[in-house]
Amino acid sequence: MKRVEALVLLGTLSTSILAAEPSRPRGVGPDFAKFYKSADTFTCISHPEISLSPSQINDEYCDCPDGSDEPGTAACTYLSSLSPPQPLAGSENTSLALPGYYCKNKGHIPGYIPHMYVNDGVCDYELCCDGSDEWAGVGGTKCEDKCKEIGKEWRRLDDIRTKSLRNALKRKDALLKDAGEKRAGLETSISNLESEIRVLEHREQDLKKVYEDVERRERGRVVGGSTTGKVSKVTVLAGLAKARVEELRSTLLGVVEKRNKLKEKVAELEGILAKFKEERNPNFNDEGVKRAVQAWEDYAANRQGGEDDASERDVEAVSKEDSESEGINWKEWETEEEESDVEAIYKFEEYLPEGVRTWVHQKIIDMRIMLVENGILADNANSGSESKAVSDARASYQSVSDDLNAKRVTLGESQTDLTKDYGPNDIFRALKNVCISKDSGEYEYELCWMENTKQKSKKGGGSTGMGNFVRFDKAVYDEEVGADGKGVGKGERVTMSYENGQHCWNGPNRQTLVVLACAEKDEIWRVVEQEKCMYRMDVGTPAVCERGGSGGNGGEKGKGKDEL
Amino acid sequence: MVKFGSGIAVKHENFKTCDQAGFCKRNRAYADAAGVTGWEAPFRIAADTLNWQNGQLQGTILKTIKEGETVRLPVTISFLESGSARVVIDEEKRQKGEIELRHNSIARKERYNEAESWAIVGGLDISKTAKENREEKTSTITYGSENQFEAVVTFAPFAIDFKRDGATQIKLNDRGLLNLEHWRPKIEKVEPEKKEGEETPPTEVEVPTGEDESTWWDEPFGGQTDSKPKGPESVSLDITFPGYEHVFGIPEHAGPLSLKETRGGTGNHEDPYRLYNADVFEYIMDSPMTLYGSIPFMQAHKKDSTVGVFWLNAAETWIDIIKAKEAHNPLSLGIGSKTDTKTHWFSESGLIDVFIFLGPTPKDVTKAYGELTGYSQLPPEFSIAYHQCRWNYNTDEDVKDVDRKMSKHQIPYDVIWLDIEYTDDKQYFTWDPLTFPDPIGMLKQLDESERKLVAIIDPHIKNKEGYHVVDELKKKDLAVHNKDGNIYEGWCWPGSSHWIDCFNPAAIKWWIGLFKYDAFKGSMPNLFIWNDMNEPSVFNGPETTMPKDNLHYQNWEHRDVHNLNGMTFHNATYQAMLERKKGEIRRPFVLTRSFYAGSQRLGAMWTGDNQANWEHLAAGFPMIINQGVAGYPFAGADVGGFFGNPEKDLLTRWYQAGAFYPFFRGHAHIDTRRREPYLAGEPYTGIITQALRLRYALLPAWYTAFHEASVNGTPILRPHYFVYPADEAGFAIDDQFFVGSTGLLAKPVVKEGAESVDIYLPDNEVYYDYFDYKTYSGRGSHSVAAPLEKIPLLMQGGHIIPRKDRPRRSSGLMKWDPYTLVVALDKQGNAEGELYVDDGETFDYESGAYIKRAFGFKDNVLESTNRGTKGKMTSSYIKAMKAVGVERIVIVGAPKSWSTKAVVKIGKTEARLEYHPESGGKAAWAVIKSPKISIAEDWKIEF
Repeated sequence: MKRVEALVLLGTLSTSILAAEPSRPRGVGPDFAKFYKSADTFTCISHPEISLSPSQINDEYCDCPDGSDEPGTAACTYLSSLSPPQPLAGSENTSLALPGYYCKNKGHIPGYIPHMYVNDGVCDYELCCDGSDEWAGVGGTKCEDKCKEIGKEWRRLDDIRTKSLRNALKRKDALLKDAGEKRAGLETSISNLESEIRVLEHREQDLKKVYEDVERRERGRVVGGSTTGKVSKVTVLAGLAKARVEELRSTLLGVVEKRNKLKEKVAELEGILAKFKEERNPNFNDEGVKRAVQAWEDYAANRQGGEDDASERDVEAVSKEDSESEGINWKEWETEEEESDVEAIYKFEEYLPEGVRTWVHQKIIDMRIMLVENGILADNANSGSESKAVSDARASYQSVSDDLNAKRVTLGESQTDLTKDYGPNDIFRALKNVCISKDSGEYEYELCWMENTKQKSKKGGGSTGMGNFVRFDKAVYDEEVGADGKGVGKGERVTMSYENGQHCWNGPNRQTLVVLACAEKDEIWRVVEQEKCMYRMDVGTPAVCERGGSGGNGGEKGKGKDEL
Repeated sequence: MVKFGSGIAVKHENFKTCDQAGFCKRNRAYADAAGVTGWEAPFRIAADTLNWQNGQLQGTILKTIKEGETVRLPVTISFLESGSARVVIDEEKRQKGEIELRHNSIARKERYNEAESWAIVGGLDISKTAKENREEKTSTITYGSENQFEAVVTFAPFAIDFKRDGATQIKLNDRGLLNLEHWRPKIEKVEPEKKEGEETPPTEVEVPTGEDESTWWDEPFGGQTDSKPKGPESVSLDITFPGYEHVFGIPEHAGPLSLKETRGGTGNHEDPYRLYNADVFEYIMDSPMTLYGSIPFMQAHKKDSTVGVFWLNAAETWIDIIKAKEAHNPLSLGIGSKTDTKTHWFSESGLIDVFIFLGPTPKDVTKAYGELTGYSQLPPEFSIAYHQCRWNYNTDEDVKDVDRKMSKHQIPYDVIWLDIEYTDDKQYFTWDPLTFPDPIGMLKQLDESERKLVAIIDPHIKNKEGYHVVDELKKKDLAVHNKDGNIYEGWCWPGSSHWIDCFNPAAIKWWIGLFKYDAFKGSMPNLFIWNDMNEPSVFNGPETTMPKDNLHYQNWEHRDVHNLNGMTFHNATYQAMLERKKGEIRRPFVLTRSFYAGSQRLGAMWTGDNQANWEHLAAGFPMIINQGVAGYPFAGADVGGFFGNPEKDLLTRWYQAGAFYPFFRGHAHIDTRRREPYLAGEPYTGIITQALRLRYALLPAWYTAFHEASVNGTPILRPHYFVYPADEAGFAIDDQFFVGSTGLLAKPVVKEGAESVDIYLPDNEVYYDYFDYKTYSGRGSHSVAAPLEKIPLLMQGGHIIPRKDRPRRSSGLMKWDPYTLVVALDKQGNAEGELYVDDGETFDYESGAYIKRAFGFKDNVLESTNRGTKGKMTSSYIKAMKAVGVERIVIVGAPKSWSTKAVVKIGKTEARLEYHPESGGKAAWAVIKSPKISIAEDWKIEF
């Protein structure tokens, strides 16, 4: 792996002075050259009150509390807040003046390497291609200068990276365009919907009125017709109902009995499982056992506290035989009904002259409507057969109303979608409903951009949800990037949080943090389970590439290659 | 959610109590019967059989079983050149095979007599100067280098008193508890027929003669039955230490260093200390319950005297301890009272084979024990640095990622570990092709910074068709057999498995072959091995181990060899790791969980599956110190606690403690959250890194202590009694200790929320705080501040401590770094110290390729003198190491007169001296800058 982040340190360095200062002490970078110029004395950089002879520079003994007298050795490495404290000459201050040992790396990019890597017997070519970190040759270590080949290879890869960045930016533009179009499309459809809704609202109003009128009239129509069938209908119905109720009741009793038996079995099984959970040995780490215990725990947690006494009483009451005092008194229904008042009115009508009859009829209807509307009289309009006029009117109204509601829902969704965070510049709108996957060892991982993350074991079993998309964030990273440029690198990165995935044994619900870095194409680079069931997915995508390199991965950065 | 808290205790019902182990119950009953007055011990030496020859007294003990009927028990008492004595008692009938086994068993008829061939590696030379003086009822043997020892053998009842300088130190069979269950045929009793309705007659009241026959035959436990083809065959002996109040040793148990009484009473145990190697899940604190390993070696200590016994028996063993106080003057109310510690040892089978060590110092006893069982391995140097482990690092990429992150956070570590999940379907010597597709790439990355990998390999071999290892195991018939002589099948990690029988030389030979680089694909020189589950752990076996009637090589019953089993497997792996490529011989590093006396020769052990709580943190030091007392100092506990998730302060304190474990490994269960040091966050990560770097800076001192242990058995963590054998107030202290001979006195914090600890100083010497030179002086307890970031660590005046202060990525990369010498002056202004250095990986030190220096500061002169013995590789090694220098010498407690001194003389040259006066309770100190001297050469600095 080629570590590039240390090289990045030099992004700000000017390089023209490189060759001009041959007399700098070993390990001193150009920015610090000025402190080492005097031929008579050296003063510690952050402790100018301490003055040393120039011969004390790089003499393998640490004199300065800031380590500045040993730029080219590891002598001052113990001055570190990470090392055990010890009384030190001069100051308690352990902040170091130099960023590291400076490798000139002629033919490649100069860089700093931690002082603790100096003269430890390892050629750290990734940071110090000229091998100068092992200048003392401890134990016969020899690190030849490899900057020429490493630099060449680096430049080759950098060309590729540059090209790749160019392509990535093109793709990003395309994505942006696509996202913009999708957004515009959405906006259009929103405005279309809005006007459609306005039209539909009017129509709905109209149709509602029509329907209400028709229905109003209908409601007033007194149902005439023969009364002869009525009596027998109720009686027959009562008979049928009674038989049916009896049948249902006996079925219910059977079911209750079966249920009670099952309850006992459940209690027994719960006992077995509770004991199983308590007595199992988690050290044996049997996945099957773990899943079973987990499922049991979930089950036990969701189980209702006690029996529902009220519903139990209901069942009891319902299952009792009907009698005059309980349930339905069938006898009441098996006798014929007496004449109703309305029927008397019909008969009375027959004796009236035409005009009076119409007037009376009208009054009766008005009265009835009044009574119905005030809730005094039952509305029989829905109970029996309905006139075609009413049902047609209602159907027309209903259809428009449904249409309207559907459009309103769509509008709401579209509006939500429009305001939803699709990342910087709305760019992930273009990737909506797009999924990418990666084959990684035991699992195949899948990322559906704005939806969810999943894993599927190659050892069998279904896919496991690793979280659903919740939000975008930003976080600062500082990581190595391989020569292939696939890595999060250093700097602020866009992240996507996926939460509430499948629950994990002895852990949380699975969740995934997707860290995005610039790449030519959408690709899952790496998935690691950082904590139990908390995954991190490093993903390359042109969506986060930026001109000038920031926001992308290390691969696209300036990193000073032009400075040489 | 399951939480592994302290609330979850061990599954007690999985393991036997004394009452459930037939022979334990019988021998306790025997002891109770023997305590009754009028009881006569039935063992006597037939005087006419006695024969003294060349330092050995041989004869026959007669056991009276009923009037006129005796059993013949050959006895040999040997007096060794080393000053140790040995008593061996066998049984003639079994020895000659004149017994019948039940169930048509094909097991061996003899009492197991090969424990010696595994545990003992030397020191058996018979004394040429021992002399016997026989009288009518006794025989007295004088022996020892200056004839200061004496053994008085009483014939009837048989007993031996061991004396030093005329005073009795150890008594065998003083209480008459010697017992050896002779062979007898089973007489099938005809059960009287029970008539309908008749009540079962009450069982007979136990006759107090140790003759409760209910456990003689077929013993059931936990649903499985031990067929016991040899019948009852236990052995037992009482060993009394008159005047000794403290006994230590007989690991492995979780409890205090000073062993407790075991026959009930307030604060005492109810059961004897048990030694029966077992995979005890979630073990409990302060318990005599058995754990993963056993060393039947005990030291008894009183003011200015230490003695010891080694009970060489590999079968299940229990040890009862009682302490009898007798006030010499009833009016003195305990002042000047004398305590005798009385122990009672019993094993299920095998010989009585006991070694006696008469001291008089703890060092003498550990040295004598080590001469027999071998000294601690001089481990490869990386293995005493920090180990980063977890069950499990999931993929090779995961390993590489942790490796990079440790480097990035500048946290030193040497070894990363793989638990069982790296294998392909739990088949050892394979890699999971999906998660570890590129083991060599992983190993190579680690090797770049001289880091290593340890992979687990266990003795259970997956029983799966086509797995080449099991196929060969079966074909070559190298597995453990069941009682019927067929290959034994049990369950472990891989499911159905067989167990390699490492008692079999052919099995060892085969095992060695499996580790060659070309056989174990994906292995490289920086891969080392971890042997777990070698008790052996068998998930479906009785007490989670093998049935006792299983058969090993040459048909020895598992019962006879159980406690050796772990060591034989560890040994096979050690042998395999010696030479994985022809001509490339390296010191192996093999960690074991199960162990026996002698395992110290083979590598490190750890205390098994502990828990992430403060109680387990506190339990670590007594256990580790006790391992050292028992000759096995390369010990550690899982840092952070195996089960459960440690809070960050606990994790931090555990790293501070772990920095003082001879074996220093962070480990975690698969269900725990990740806890690599860099994940803790600040301030924890920084504090943990300091603790790790402290360990690394002191590696030269640690390695010197390991060297010392490897040549004379001296513990690495030394308890107070060991260093100050006359200071009675320190005898039971087991939460603070000295590191090697460095004078470093540590008491890492093991209590939650502690802001200070009380350190006990055993003398009136001056002690300096390691980190700021604050001084403490005066015998007794001193409060030392211990906020979270601080480890209570003192330097005793009078010592010179070698360090390497430059932090590196791994210990291997510190090889060429210069030393810092810290000279902590005593009240007289003197100090001395030692340093041992070698290449840390080969056996070249055996040919003299090492540096051994003595440093002394006296009369204002600091001197380095050679303590090595020249060998054929000495000169070339010294030449190569010449470039390694001393960069700095810090003198703590520097005299005032140096305030005006600017230089010191080194031969003809000078070096700068800088003086810092005493201030605020902190000692004056001086530093010599860049003295330009070599660690490999003599030099002298004049102040």
